[in-house]
Amino acid sequence: MGISIPDVVCPFCGCLCDDLIIHVDNGRIIKNEHGCAISKSKFLHHLDDRLEHPEIRDGDSHQTVELKTAISHCVDLLKNARRPLIYGLSSVENDAHREAYKIADLVGAIVDNTSSVCHGPTILGTQESGEAAGSLAEVKNRADLVIYWGSNPQFAHPRHISRFVKPPGEFIHDPRTDREVWVFDIRKSITATLADRFVKVEPGRDLEVLSALRALVRGHEIDVSEVGGVPIDTIRELAERMKSAKYGILFFGLGLTQSHGRHHNVDAAIRLVQDLNSYTKWNMMSMRGHYNVAGANKTLTWTTGYPFAVDFSRGFPRYQPGEYTAVDLLRRGEVDVLLNIGADPVAHFPKVAVSHIRKIPVINIDPKRNLTSLFAEVNIPTAIAGIECDGAAVRMDGLPLYLKKVMNPPEGIIPDREVLQMIYEQLEEVMQ
Amino acid sequence: MEVGKLSPEYFEAVAVCELDKTTFSVLDIEEGDPVRVETIEGSVIVRSKLDRRAEPGVAFIPCGPYANMIMNADTEMTGMPRFKEMEAIIFAAKDETILSIEELME
Repeated sequence: MGISIPDVVCPFCGCLCDDLIIHVDNGRIIKNEHGCAISKSKFLHHLDDRLEHPEIRDGDSHQTVELKTAISHCVDLLKNARRPLIYGLSSVENDAHREAYKIADLVGAIVDNTSSVCHGPTILGTQESGEAAGSLAEVKNRADLVIYWGSNPQFAHPRHISRFVKPPGEFIHDPRTDREVWVFDIRKSITATLADRFVKVEPGRDLEVLSALRALVRGHEIDVSEVGGVPIDTIRELAERMKSAKYGILFFGLGLTQSHGRHHNVDAAIRLVQDLNSYTKWNMMSMRGHYNVAGANKTLTWTTGYPFAVDFSRGFPRYQPGEYTAVDLLRRGEVDVLLNIGADPVAHFPKVAVSHIRKIPVINIDPKRNLTSLFAEVNIPTAIAGIECDGAAVRMDGLPLYLKKVMNPPEGIIPDREVLQMIYEQLEEVMQ
Repeated sequence: MEVGKLSPEYFEAVAVCELDKTTFSVLDIEEGDPVRVETIEGSVIVRSKLDRRAEPGVAFIPCGPYANMIMNADTEMTGMPRFKEMEAIIFAAKDETILSIEELME
């Protein structure tokens, strides 16, 4: 006889959908109700392609070892490291972050989370111009104009539109007529085909389009026929419509943060939203990818004062993007040990950074096999938070949510936080 | 999708370049034929895929080990490489082989 577990939070993307019903029968997850296709796959395939045992590299292959042997090997590597980097943290829950920061503090490591290659520029933009904040519920209840800029939620956040844009809200009785959706992108994405309006921007010209919108919102005239591939009359019309919205929301994705201009693009978008607030109510929100990358920024900020790229080597936290960010450290060949927690830098970093990872010992802590695990010196498997252990994570709008444990992890496999705690405790002993 | 990084599904998803219809006819290739994508950083062979909504001038390779072969790692002091845009030249590469992820990493 199976059981149904209601109100389960999905640990995939930054939407943290909290309405899943997970059916478990005979020790297996058999159904995920309400989840998107990715969520269903994550829950139903949670046992596939796992790292099954702790292992240590032996020549070209890995040897299975006891957990305590793997932990001791990690401790040896970290104790003797001169410039260790702790990276990842966006796909693990908040308690694991705490243990990772304790290790960093103890050994004088650098901590960087995956936001340095996703919404790091968003944070830099925010540090320049201030943070607009509001909840996703506010969007659902109030927004009559929704913009996705450089973001394709139908692919990356499949229920974002169906949970927060399509349903009616307190002041949006019929979303088909009361709410408009626009997409700004360099190509016509799936999301763009569903939108009421698609604005095609030339690649790398977002900053110009945002700045033109700002100028027109403020009542200036621009003596050109087009900006960033968009006719000026269209930009003028968009600016007027944005001013006349009752509540506008600008969702933006990596199309702004990973393209030419990076944080300047986000800075310009924040200033546009600030200007629009002279006329009406506007808000903006970054479309956070990994389910707890927002949490990684929050926990690191409340622990050290800084959201990513934090160096503990002088015994106190210092912050400098471009210097203590993972890609830069690896590109310069500075790091001599990498502790990778719930990320896959070998799959996602440029080849010059990957080639340095291949030269140094990597301690890889992750539930599943991935490209980094192939080259790691030590692999330690862990339980998947939100499925096999509990924890807390932070939604893209900053709301912390509790992740439930819906079933036991495979035998002998423990949560990330416990593995990191074991490493910390043993390090503390040997470093006294 | 959430199946595993070493699965055939992941290889199928990331070793592709999405192109518009006109580019297919200019390169004289069929969907699925290999193409060589070259940037100032290097080159990589991937499978061509038709994107019916795409227009000439912009091609798309998903984030992953194949895209990383041709990406610039300079972050301009932000931490962020410019993942979203690189000027590239695309060639038909019908007789060339698409490397597996393991081969690509060698």
